[in-house]
Amino acid sequence: MSRSLYWLQCGGCGGDTMSLLSLESPDLTEMLDMLDLEILWHPSLSSMSAQEHSLLLEDIYRGRQSLDILCVEGAVIRGPGGTGMFDVFQGHPRKDMLIRLATKARYVIAVGTCACFGGITGAGDVEAVGLQYIRKVKGGLLGEDFISKAGLPVINLPGCPCHCEVQAGVLSALISDSPLSFTHYHTPLPWYGMLVHQGCVRNEYHEYRVEEEDFGEKGCLFFHMGCKGPLTYGPCNKLLWNRRSSKTYIGAPCAGCTQPDFPSEYPYFRTRNIAGIPLELPDGVDRAHYLAYKGMAAAAAPLRLKKRDTQV
Amino acid sequence: MSEKSFINVPLNRVEGDLEIRAEIEDGVVRDAWCSGTMFRGFERILQGRAALDGLLLTPRICGICGTSHQAAAAAALNRIAGITPPPDARRVIDLVLMCEHIQSDMRHGFLMFTADFVNPAYKDNPLYEEALRRYAPLKGETVIEVIRETKKVLEINAILSGQWPHSSFIVPGGIVSRPNDTELLKCRMILKHYRKWYENRILGCSIERFGEIRSAGKFDAWLDEKQARRESDLGFYVRYSRKTGLDKIGSGCTNFLSFGSTEPPGCSGTDSRLFPAGFLHQGIIFDFAQENISEHVATSWFLDYTGGKHPFEGETRPFASGYEGKKYSWAKAPRYKDLPAETGPLADMLVSGNSLIADMAAVEGHSAFLRELARLLRPAILIPAMEQCLSEIRSNAEFYISPGEISEGEGFGLAGAARGGLGHWVKIREGKIAHYQIITPTAWNLSPRDSNDVRGPAEEALMGTEVRDPANPVELGHVIRSFDACLVCTVHVVDGVQ
Repeated sequence: MSRSLYWLQCGGCGGDTMSLLSLESPDLTEMLDMLDLEILWHPSLSSMSAQEHSLLLEDIYRGRQSLDILCVEGAVIRGPGGTGMFDVFQGHPRKDMLIRLATKARYVIAVGTCACFGGITGAGDVEAVGLQYIRKVKGGLLGEDFISKAGLPVINLPGCPCHCEVQAGVLSALISDSPLSFTHYHTPLPWYGMLVHQGCVRNEYHEYRVEEEDFGEKGCLFFHMGCKGPLTYGPCNKLLWNRRSSKTYIGAPCAGCTQPDFPSEYPYFRTRNIAGIPLELPDGVDRAHYLAYKGMAAAAAPLRLKKRDTQV
Repeated sequence: MSEKSFINVPLNRVEGDLEIRAEIEDGVVRDAWCSGTMFRGFERILQGRAALDGLLLTPRICGICGTSHQAAAAAALNRIAGITPPPDARRVIDLVLMCEHIQSDMRHGFLMFTADFVNPAYKDNPLYEEALRRYAPLKGETVIEVIRETKKVLEINAILSGQWPHSSFIVPGGIVSRPNDTELLKCRMILKHYRKWYENRILGCSIERFGEIRSAGKFDAWLDEKQARRESDLGFYVRYSRKTGLDKIGSGCTNFLSFGSTEPPGCSGTDSRLFPAGFLHQGIIFDFAQENISEHVATSWFLDYTGGKHPFEGETRPFASGYEGKKYSWAKAPRYKDLPAETGPLADMLVSGNSLIADMAAVEGHSAFLRELARLLRPAILIPAMEQCLSEIRSNAEFYISPGEISEGEGFGLAGAARGGLGHWVKIREGKIAHYQIITPTAWNLSPRDSNDVRGPAEEALMGTEVRDPANPVELGHVIRSFDACLVCTVHVVDGVQ
């Protein structure tokens, strides 16, 4: 029997859907076929009339239509004053619709950092939150104890946007009943158990602390240019974007967009540091040791790196 | 006795949230209201942040035209810093922007617009079965091909800008990347592949051959000349639209605004732009000046002020009063010289004097059909320009000039986004963002009424539309979607400067 998916867009930019359209081997339509997954509704792709859509919602609410997977894109807007009237659907707060759908779904997936943790929308003043988190704090719209019908909390797939392979990988795993392990923030381990730094083409520059203080060069961007690659859990430099590249490949600092506290309250494109060493260090790293290690590494840097001969 | 009723239609396949209210009398729209139903409140996000943070945050306003937001944000900062990016950086930015456009044009056309062709309202149409074969959501042949091909052309964006969507490679002074020769060569190959696909599947002839068509009459003759052209997606689009009367609805306000497609120097390295900026009003093209832009809030859910305010002076204080009184949208009402204006591919082509589109407008009149047609044809103009850009970019050139600290000043940045003119107005005080206002293309097109009670372009376009079945008002969908509405963009990024 085919499985069903409902895609709800809340306070976001639609970027996760755009990312999903870039899925390769199989592409989106092939994957839906292979998984026998029926998209009951997607706001950008469905051709159902408004009336049919209302009937579909009624059917889901009343249990006449089963709902295997609810994907939510965008943060839940609760303002002003908790009313939800900053984001309405047919005159009613969209957050109420979300709650009704979430209680019917076997799995609830938060797609993108906004839906997971509040993200960009959450940084504004519309009282926006993630489905089960407000930045690093558990709770969110559905509350910390929420579990969906299949017995799992909300599955968080952060990223601004979330990489298409992650979206597709999770859908495939759930439908195939393949086991998934999760991190502390209930993000799937295979993609969020690694740092963006892993796989960056500038790694050797990083190792020997050959740093840049302005844009347009080949060296590492972590120490001065605000790159959050070594601080951020995500698969960008393993999976690559659009099959080709990534921000750090081409010289744009990682923005840390998968992290619960994205967007950072501090300025982008510069690293907060003490005596040339970043204030924030990779998870579990001891400051004194790091200082000694990077000092020695810089002293050992080969000329080809200092001269930026090594290509990125 | 005439029969009068109101219908409220929440509309999907617009990016974001839109509800249309239409007053229908004797099966015809007598009045219409476009309501943006979501407020994301970007102001708090930007206010007080570091000068460069807009580069990273504003692209996140829109998942489709993030590169355009980045280009506008950087252009505003360039203006403040008094710096001109090197020409090769400019070419890369133009190229990446055009790439964003040509994928958006096809995705909008064949994933979002023609999805209405398979609406049950048309099931007795002799072309319905064929429409279903081509455009059934996620199943149609064209839909599958568009998904497959548009993602490939976005590889160009990844190579040059790191990723799509939501890169952050444009900075004041240029770009952070330095493409090498092999990468540029790869981009050429990817573009060549896309060109071939667009010519074979969509146009039904070469771009060069199509460029020879300069009048409505020649267009019809071209269409009839060969079976392949009638069966291309463009050919089918024309046949289906005429059969269903899309060429008779959705005329609009017929004021057109283009911000210009690139900042000088354009692709050719001269001051001549591919699409020059201008304002077309009552058949006359006027020079464009951003000083003529203002925004009204009389019918928007914001605290009132009198008349319109220029975006440097704009204010955004949300006031969620519900559907009582005059207010009905989270979109403000931008006006040019106090007039509503349509922006987008059709406006770009009319202002630039594209002879085919201008002649079709003169002979057949404005319509939803023409508006979407301009979008479907835009890649035929952009692809050769992209090829030229690629041939001009020198891998060993300068791509970045350090602008130094940006600490004081005000500036605006304009960009021709996929859906039309996009503007950022920015004030920086002591290195921080003191004021940030954005007017998006959709804010222009889907604008509510202004303080003179004049309808926005899409509202005006709905007037007189015949609605055969109020329970399934597919005609309203055609008209609204021809504007390629992107409601996630109707954010208001302002502050109070205090």
